Amino acid sequence: MTNFWTTIAHTAGRRIKSKAFIFATISMSLLVLVLVNINNIIDVFSNESSQEKDTIAVVDLTEENIGEFLESQTESRFEYILHLDGDVDSAIEEAVNNQYNYVLTVRGNLEEIEAEFYGSGNDFMIAQEVHQDVQRVKESLATNELGLSEQELALIYTPIVFDEFPLQEGGEVQTMESHMQSYWMVYALVFAIYIIVLTFGSMIATEVATEKSSRVMELLVSSINPVTQMLGKIVGIGIAGMVNLLVIAGAALIGTYISGEDTFRFLIDVIDISLIFYALTLILLGYFVYGGMAAMLGALVSRAEEVNQALQPVVFLAMIALFISIFGLNTPDATFIQVLSYVPFFTPQLLFLRIGMGTIPTWEVILIFLILLISAILITILAARVYKGGVLMYGKFSFKEGMKQAFTLGKKES
Amino acid sequence: MTLVLNNIKKKFKDHTAVDTISLTVEKGEMFGLLGANGAGKTTSFRMILGLLDPTEGTVTWAGERLSYKRTKLIGYLPEERGLFPKLTVKEQLIYLMKLKGMKKPEIIKEMKHWLDRFQVPEYENKKIEELSKGNQQKIQFMAAVLHKPELLILDEPFSGLDPVNSDMLKAAVLDLQKAGTTIVFSSHQMQNVEELCEDLIMLKQGKAVLQGNLREIKRSYGMKSISLRADYDLQFLHSIPGVLKIEFNKNGATVKVENETVAEQIFRAISEKGFVRKFEVDEPSLHDIFIDKAGGDNID
Repeated sequence: MTNFWTTIAHTAGRRIKSKAFIFATISMSLLVLVLVNINNIIDVFSNESSQEKDTIAVVDLTEENIGEFLESQTESRFEYILHLDGDVDSAIEEAVNNQYNYVLTVRGNLEEIEAEFYGSGNDFMIAQEVHQDVQRVKESLATNELGLSEQELALIYTPIVFDEFPLQEGGEVQTMESHMQSYWMVYALVFAIYIIVLTFGSMIATEVATEKSSRVMELLVSSINPVTQMLGKIVGIGIAGMVNLLVIAGAALIGTYISGEDTFRFLIDVIDISLIFYALTLILLGYFVYGGMAAMLGALVSRAEEVNQALQPVVFLAMIALFISIFGLNTPDATFIQVLSYVPFFTPQLLFLRIGMGTIPTWEVILIFLILLISAILITILAARVYKGGVLMYGKFSFKEGMKQAFTLGKKES
Repeated sequence: MTLVLNNIKKKFKDHTAVDTISLTVEKGEMFGLLGANGAGKTTSFRMILGLLDPTEGTVTWAGERLSYKRTKLIGYLPEERGLFPKLTVKEQLIYLMKLKGMKKPEIIKEMKHWLDRFQVPEYENKKIEELSKGNQQKIQFMAAVLHKPELLILDEPFSGLDPVNSDMLKAAVLDLQKAGTTIVFSSHQMQNVEELCEDLIMLKQGKAVLQGNLREIKRSYGMKSISLRADYDLQFLHSIPGVLKIEFNKNGATVKVENETVAEQIFRAISEKGFVRKFEVDEPSLHDIFIDKAGGDNID
């Protein structure tokens, strides 16, 4: 047991103290800090220009002089200026010469208003907002024309109350809010697992292969049980990775705090506390399933250069899981998602998807969790046995032959 | 505290690496494990260490199986040298010795002692990859003995060392033996084995071809070596049955014969022929025995 902790401390300590780790953690944290505050930073740079609204020359050809009403729209993002002297062509010419930003023509009467917008640049939202401005002016003119009172106006515009209830008692119904919450949580978790598998998996395998290629492995396994060593390595690298992630998460929190209340509230809206327990447990179990495989494959190669080749099966599994999950975000109740969520390599992502996005009976959650737990243990045992034999094997890497050979070598005989 | 290998056998698929060998090494003894490349030495060591389980037979130390619980009793110098290239001498000895159950202050004290003994105290904070091969070897040796093991296994400890370092290491090994450490070692350099070992086993394709006390082996070994100097051509000796090999050198010739009777025949033959300046019958060197026993298949 002491050796287990010694290995964890050695593995995690060496990693955390390494320059590459410190550099990566600090630069990632800074990046996150900047990204969270990106709005504030942009504001600082565009402070002056944001004071001035974009100007739009209005060529008014309507009977009701809509242009004048547009000009009085102070809430709009734009400043509408009536182009009195001249026609469309001269307005466009002046816009090209930078006297205005855009040009808008309105013609017809209240019953049938036609507007034309002349714009530039690549912000498609501009035309949409101008469209809304014109629509709003038209609506207020129309209600005016009809001579509606305040109460009558209120009657039209007050929103209705719309509530949702589950069909069965104890059932669930997805509201827009909870849907978005789960959607982002699932999305984030699926990506997190993918990235954890790729980076941590390759860290584990590389570490094992490096110790093998420097031949220090034989010395190590003469002092420490290879199985203990393997588990120590997996946990140690997990801890180093956690430190990395915690620092980045800390940076994100600090960043949110600096950037003000809005972002903070957005974050709280996005995170569903009840799902966090599931997320953490599934990440942990998934880490052991994939980490065990990575350690096993790392033990089969002789040189660090062969690690990527050996890791391919794991990477493919993680990629398949990622694609299925992203596809499944829109169809969480599809049969194939249900079936595949029982497969341990996909369980962490798909079970979370089903818990977060759809409805899943409790017994199924427990059953799938049990299957995942048992598979994690079985994979670790299998990995340990291959590992035990594999660390003493040198030669050309071949998955099939290597597995067979390592399996026999690791066999307990007495 | 005795190391006992009882009829151990290791099979890999259709190939038998070690075939039913038994040996006993008493406490404080220096035991030699010899054999050509691929004879099964490293596999035997790995079975003693518990890295591999024997297909048949048992390995015991002081009557019990060696397991990871008792790993601090054993020191191991593997044939393929390996340390962490990126770690300093101090860092890796601390890690490796912690795995043997030592505490940090103790490790540092012992490390300084050994670095001084090997006359390299300045290497404490150097990375392994910066050291020469011979000096890496010293650190590797330290990694095997720093925790004062009861049983020390040295797989080719002297290969790749210059004579000065080789002697330094040899002296260290002998000191450890005096202090009561049981040592099993393998070497290709027969001279080292003759200097250090009392008992030995010689393996060929996994089988023991020779086993016992070194002096007795040499005495009772049938083959003899005759140093000969005469004033005439000695080529005619080839015709005497039982002559294995004649090597001519500037001082005469060395004749290997099957047994003492053949030596007598040679003596008679040359005394008939003329004056003999030198005639000496020696026990064979371990080198000769090794080549005879573990060498090519033609002699079988």
